[in-house]
Amino acid sequence: MPLLPARRAAIERISTALLVAASAVMILIGKTDQVVFQSLRISVMDAAAPALELMSRPAAALDVAAERVHRFLAVYRENLRLAEENQRLLVLEQVALRLSVENEQLRELSKLVPEPGTSFITARVISDTGGPYARSVTVNAGRENGVARGQAAMTASGLVGRVVEAGRRAARILLITDLNSRVPVIVDGSRERAILAGDNSARPSLRYVDGGGAVRVGDRIVTSGQGGVLPPGLPVGLVAGVDGEAARVEPYAVLPRLDYLRIVDYGLGDALPDPLSVAARGGKRTDASGSGLPPPRH
Amino acid sequence: MGNLLPIATMVVAGLLSIAPLHIGWVAAVAPSFTLIATYHWTIYQPALSPGLALFVIGTVQDLLTGGLPGETSVTLLLCRAFVLSHRRYYADRQFPVMWADFSLVTFGAAFGLWALHSLLSAQILELRGPAVSVLATISVFPIVSFLLGRTQRMLIGTD
Repeated sequence: MPLLPARRAAIERISTALLVAASAVMILIGKTDQVVFQSLRISVMDAAAPALELMSRPAAALDVAAERVHRFLAVYRENLRLAEENQRLLVLEQVALRLSVENEQLRELSKLVPEPGTSFITARVISDTGGPYARSVTVNAGRENGVARGQAAMTASGLVGRVVEAGRRAARILLITDLNSRVPVIVDGSRERAILAGDNSARPSLRYVDGGGAVRVGDRIVTSGQGGVLPPGLPVGLVAGVDGEAARVEPYAVLPRLDYLRIVDYGLGDALPDPLSVAARGGKRTDASGSGLPPPRH
Repeated sequence: MGNLLPIATMVVAGLLSIAPLHIGWVAAVAPSFTLIATYHWTIYQPALSPGLALFVIGTVQDLLTGGLPGETSVTLLLCRAFVLSHRRYYADRQFPVMWADFSLVTFGAAFGLWALHSLLSAQILELRGPAVSVLATISVFPIVSFLLGRTQRMLIGTD
């Protein structure tokens, strides 16, 4: 291992110092102004999408294989469980049909404004969070598939997060556990409003509970629809622990094991305009949802 | 072709660091393969792993993960500067000594990032995630370093 010549070492030191300074400037700019890097982020995400997709395939294939083996081993027990579940669902189907007819009649009577139509696409997760300070994933669907900023990302179990950047063929989802995620929610049952605040831990906390009302372990948390970014009633999680005034929520969705996500368009796209266009109009560079949500970390 | 090996492996390391592995805790505590590759190549082939390449790779990784742009590049550049500043020390060192040295570098990098994020978010962030990530990075270092060494011998030869 020969040492670097002295002159080369001096150049090396100067260039390293300049690059470190450039990185520090980027950190400061990125923290204070999210818009500066947004278009660059989207371009890089689009450009890297094929490579990320390629890298994610072996892991996805292993996951599918492991799941198949697991299902094969548990087929008898699973059959019994499904038979029981089928019985329960047949009963619930009848209840749902009755409620649906009743709901239709009540809407007719009260002249309720119909809710906007809902559509969704399913996308595969192609990159994970990649570190302890960011909780976001990238999916292999973008604007050309109808994905837009502000749309909800769900699994079959519940809310995962929302789209914060939509490129042409890839999009980034800010998870509800991210330090910068704030989701207006209600405690189902008591109807008390609160904000679900991520802090990079596995269980986001409930803050600003309406009237400081009591929240109990096991309470169901759903979106409130306040601010118009997400529709009301999306399942989020269960209160898993209450320590003094702080309640922790266990998300329904298994966030560390996301493979496919449903990106749902509830027809609320206008609620969250692109900050790039807001900035271009000379508007204030904040999340313009009006919901009090802070902008995602950039 | 062999001259591009350090940069190519660092790009692959960057992609591996963010690939979805679907193993419960791995996403939050994924080892920093990029840091391992940076440490390795700065010791054995510093001329083939220039600071500018680390800057670009780190920045792209941050842009892809949604992290603060610049946080990974500053970590990689400081790691490189640290290793270069006492490169003489690494000559003929045993692997356990290098492993211990890399552990110090990883602890330093993780603590620096934790302090930076705590400062910028004006709150003391939890240490469990970064601590497990440090342990994961240190644990996989021998395997990754061995693989990089074998690839280096095959394609470039020893320095």
